[in-house]
Amino acid sequence: MKHPSEEHDLIRWIDGEMNETERATFEERLKGDPALATEAQKMRALSASLRAHLPAEMRVPHADYFNTQIEVRITQMELDDARAQKVTTSWSAVLQWLRQPWFALAGTAALAVLGFFVLRPDTGDASESMILSSYTPNTNVQARTYHDAGAAATVLLLDGLDAVPADRKISGINVKRTELEPELASTTMYDGQGAALLMISHDSLGNPMISPR
Amino acid sequence: MKAFLSALALISCTALTCAQDLEEPPPIISSAKHATDGHVWGALIFATNDASQLTGAKEEAHADLPKLDQRLAKVFPFKHFEILGQHRQDIFREYESWVVPSRDLFMKIDSKGPAEKDGVNLHLQVWHKHQVLVKSDAILRKDSPLFIGGPPWKQGRLIFVLFLERK
Repeated sequence: MKHPSEEHDLIRWIDGEMNETERATFEERLKGDPALATEAQKMRALSASLRAHLPAEMRVPHADYFNTQIEVRITQMELDDARAQKVTTSWSAVLQWLRQPWFALAGTAALAVLGFFVLRPDTGDASESMILSSYTPNTNVQARTYHDAGAAATVLLLDGLDAVPADRKISGINVKRTELEPELASTTMYDGQGAALLMISHDSLGNPMISPR
Repeated sequence: MKAFLSALALISCTALTCAQDLEEPPPIISSAKHATDGHVWGALIFATNDASQLTGAKEEAHADLPKLDQRLAKVFPFKHFEILGQHRQDIFREYESWVVPSRDLFMKIDSKGPAEKDGVNLHLQVWHKHQVLVKSDAILRKDSPLFIGGPPWKQGRLIFVLFLERK
């Protein structure tokens, strides 16, 4: 059994691919190895026979069609490559833009500004009044708050409150002056003429109590 | 001579004191002996589309709140806005303050100290009789009133307005 390297050398010797030194060395081996020499002679004869019976050039069947298809395929691949390169170029340009040193600073500043506007408690102007939190003990009542720029006011809407009976008379008072009595935990309110209007204090439960009733 | 000079000095001091008293504006609200964090104006307003439902109250809006009706109309869908009652009140630093433009709907204020941009931190409670409707923490600032939409009444709505008059 021939070693693969011997077979490879044999093929190269037959095809005339060896240089002078290699050919001389290989032919020395053939002289010392009758089996290899016999094999070489058989293969050389077979090769000569094949070359003698086959034309030097063979015509490719349907060559025009074959070439056309190759050209179409090549053109298609070129277009695909060009398209891919265009997309890659676009992304490359973006990535290259993102890699600019100034972009990191600008991006950080933009994020900081965005974070300030998004995360601050109220989106309104700092010179506006703000409702920070609201709690409605009656679970049927919802408190909504927002700033109305048109009204230049901060709005707290209490939805779901029971209506005050229409037949109930609601009248207002005009308080001009108050007197606080911390010792009594009461406040007395007066009108413009100095007349006492009412006094507000707390009942035993801590709820406000207005007197006279 | 000595007695004359003493009498003259006494008369001069008395006259000077009287003149100073005349120059000082009268206090808007008393209780000046208690420290304050600001002064507010509160009003109870009835909003309705039916003019016949108005009560006939003739209260005027605060002079520093121009076009209050128009501003309210931008928030509440009503045509008529009637001030039922109003109250100017100190915000006491150490004690609770009450804004009572009406016996029916009024507000308790606890100061939580000054806020930036000429504001004041407040804890607010809106009361309807013996029921607290809402408790809120708020920052009240000048020229930025607070409109509180209260309970419906007579096909309209009661509105509480709170305005920081000065600090």
